[in-house]
Amino acid sequence: MAVPEQEEMQKLAEKAVNAALGKGADEAEAFVYQGIATNIGIERGQIVRSSRIIDEGIGLRTILNKAIGFSYTNVLEGDAAINETIDRALSSAKASKPDEDWRGLPNKKPYTSTGGTYDQKIVGLHSEDLVKIASIMLEAAEKADKRVFPIEGGAGASRMSVAAANSNGIAAFDQGTMVDCSLATICQDGSEVTPVCFEFNAERSHHIDPEWIGKEAARLALSALKPKKIETKSTQVILTQFALQQLLYFTLIDAIKADYVQRDQSALKGKIGQKIASDCVTVYDDGVLHDGLRTWKFDGEGVPQQKTLIIEKGVLRDFIYDNYTARKEGKESTGNAARAGYLSTPDVEATNFHILPGTKSPDDLVSEVDNGLIMYYLQGAHSSNPASGEFSVVATPAWKIEKGNVTHATKGVMMVGNIYQVLTNITALANNERKLGQLIAPWMLVENVKVIGK
Amino acid sequence: MRLQEHNGLKDILGKIIDAAIHKFEAEYAEARAQRLVKTMLTLKEGNVEATTQGIESGVALRVLARGAWGFASVGRMDVETLTEAVADACAMAKRASLRLKTPVKLAETKAVEDKVVSRPRRDPASVPIEDKLKTTLSLNKTVMVYDKSVKGCTIDYLDTTGTTHFMNSTGTYIEQDKLYVWSRILVTAKEGDVYTSSREEIGSTSGYEVFDIETPDIVGRRVAKRAVDQLKAKPPRGGTFPAVLGPNVVGVFVHEAFGHLAEADLTLAGSVLMGRLGKKIGSDLVTFYDDGTIDGAFGSFKYDDEGVPAQKTLLVKNGIVSGLMHNLETAHKFNAEPTGNARAEDFRVEPIIRMRNTAMQPRDCSFEELFEDIKFGYYFKAFRGGQANFDGTFQVGVQEGYEILKGEIAEPVRNASISGNTLETLLEVDAVGKDFQLWSGRCGKGQEAFVCDGGPHVRLKEVLVGGSA
Repeated sequence: MAVPEQEEMQKLAEKAVNAALGKGADEAEAFVYQGIATNIGIERGQIVRSSRIIDEGIGLRTILNKAIGFSYTNVLEGDAAINETIDRALSSAKASKPDEDWRGLPNKKPYTSTGGTYDQKIVGLHSEDLVKIASIMLEAAEKADKRVFPIEGGAGASRMSVAAANSNGIAAFDQGTMVDCSLATICQDGSEVTPVCFEFNAERSHHIDPEWIGKEAARLALSALKPKKIETKSTQVILTQFALQQLLYFTLIDAIKADYVQRDQSALKGKIGQKIASDCVTVYDDGVLHDGLRTWKFDGEGVPQQKTLIIEKGVLRDFIYDNYTARKEGKESTGNAARAGYLSTPDVEATNFHILPGTKSPDDLVSEVDNGLIMYYLQGAHSSNPASGEFSVVATPAWKIEKGNVTHATKGVMMVGNIYQVLTNITALANNERKLGQLIAPWMLVENVKVIGK
Repeated sequence: MRLQEHNGLKDILGKIIDAAIHKFEAEYAEARAQRLVKTMLTLKEGNVEATTQGIESGVALRVLARGAWGFASVGRMDVETLTEAVADACAMAKRASLRLKTPVKLAETKAVEDKVVSRPRRDPASVPIEDKLKTTLSLNKTVMVYDKSVKGCTIDYLDTTGTTHFMNSTGTYIEQDKLYVWSRILVTAKEGDVYTSSREEIGSTSGYEVFDIETPDIVGRRVAKRAVDQLKAKPPRGGTFPAVLGPNVVGVFVHEAFGHLAEADLTLAGSVLMGRLGKKIGSDLVTFYDDGTIDGAFGSFKYDDEGVPAQKTLLVKNGIVSGLMHNLETAHKFNAEPTGNARAEDFRVEPIIRMRNTAMQPRDCSFEELFEDIKFGYYFKAFRGGQANFDGTFQVGVQEGYEILKGEIAEPVRNASISGNTLETLLEVDAVGKDFQLWSGRCGKGQEAFVCDGGPHVRLKEVLVGGSA
């Protein structure tokens, strides 16, 4: 299928903005999105499916007397569909209620150059190439042990293009690529079934390692066999990136969003300049990180993405803003307006939430633990209390560490606490950072974590 | 005019299916065309973030060729684009089949021709946006004035209307209206350093009249009271305790801890239910079902996205596993009848096995009887979230819970969660109430599906409680 050119997408965005102004909008903004994704699916140990999904559309925000109307469509052919979309955006604005805090759409600003986000090689990947990638991964897992069963997974390649335009002169285009593979495995031994173990690798350029994914997913499932129950106590815990991502997404990451802070729903309100984490913790929200999974030239409002210092050696330095929340405080947006393609209005979201790594090797980190746990996967983090940071989750599974060695899997261990206690009790970070969705982080060692066993 | 368009679409889909089978060598082909209109609102403390109207229109093409699946989704409905897409789907299926060990086969079904028209008392598509704003603003007001400790109120509203045109190569053609009305209310309260939150969802497939029963006043008070009451709550003790679960928690337990394991794709993948069909896994009091036919319920529909009629599927009867939820593929594997559980969120994705309205059957205990023998335990009334794993490990977070002292409901507790193994926990069920309630919600399995969960009050002899005290 023909891919619309940069020029076409930009022209469409600008035309929609001008037409909306012509129909009486005070301000207008258009966001045009196109995504083409090819995927290979693995189910129950074999490759069984392949798909191609082409999704494109335009989202149009119009403002009338400080009331905001939004409309979108994925029907892009012909002027009639676009005109109808403009009319619906305007009628939505007319029906809506003025927002006294509205201070206008963002202005044009220069973009920082970003790198490693587009790879022609990914654009050229076809389903047969992805079948190869998936096969390598699958074979690596199956070779590990007969008891390993790859239940699902796949490989995918996608290309996304975005064009943004608004009535303050923003007119921008960017495109990016992504390739990924993932595998979920379980291990079956007699009547015993392990929890699902999962590995995943996504990159903006074509250098993923499907063999490692297969091997690692198999190794984890194998080592999850024969779990033992543990006692309830406070203990040392190493959180790997999977566990961290789950915990942080539903707690800390919400708490640094200006929207939550302004609405008195963040435990971090009023704490800029205060110590909220241990000295070894430094965090950036880095929207321009080289080859970051969430790196783009501009955000969902056409505002430049940037690198924002959030926590410096344990001290809270800043929150993340979109244009609306920033102007409410007389500030500039930090380029953190995210949108779901053309389907939604912008919302404050982290880009690449980057916890800087430490210097210890992961093995050294494990060797520092006399009696504790290492947690890969958590269940139930989404039931955390987003405002207070309190969580009560299950580790499925966690592995016991005794005298510096990982000894065996544990069964049904719950971990309870508050994310701010966790941040304060971090004593060491490893040097093994990796990318997982919006998180880039190393393993971390946390002291004094309450775990509930029997 | 409208009828002509529909006939036109039927002809186009017919040509595409025909090309898939006769030209591109598919063994099976289906086309699912949708045109959906959505209205969405987001209110934060009464500020209207954006009033949204959207149109989503496109076609999903799924084919089986050489025993593997090919799928293409496009946002257009013309013959040329669709022919190209279906050729692509067939080519992809053949490539995916290169290393196939066990080809996919499908259960046979009767061809159906039907037209399903929704008949709402109040069609959300013709309710003016101003009215929808009035309802959500009034809900917001009820919440915000409930108590001065209430700090935040986020209300999302969505309605979807439209029609799905489904055709497959076995002679089925179904036109089916879609109608969903949904709203979620998130409330936060704060006093000193204590933050609490509370959530409630409303959902219906009958129409906008859902707000006549779940009025802004009733829902607003319920969700605000919960957030405010938690401010005085204490953390629960960690450990194993007897517990009474309310219908809302029972529902999420049935859905998360059991239901997913009984989705036949996950059972086949090795969930703990594999090999347990016909076997006893719970106490005699345990009967679970998944029902797609409850009138107006959020998880109901007449035909699933493989054209199979929805039905009531018994999953557990008196403690014995009696059925699984199937699509055409797993029904063939198990030599069972398809159950009408294949659902796709929209034309961008393939149908997969999803729950509909999943619940536990009530028995005969009164509310008081469930509590009277408990010296110390917990009453968990409303859930915040839940999740389960293949080995049967489940976790359910609780947003409203109380201590039980000497058979009476006592002080509230906050941020509790329960966990355990599903099969072990089903044996702990020792009393089941005679009441019954269904709650609307959304389930994520890569795609989002609208569902209901529910049941009666239930007593567990013991369950692991995660608490910090």
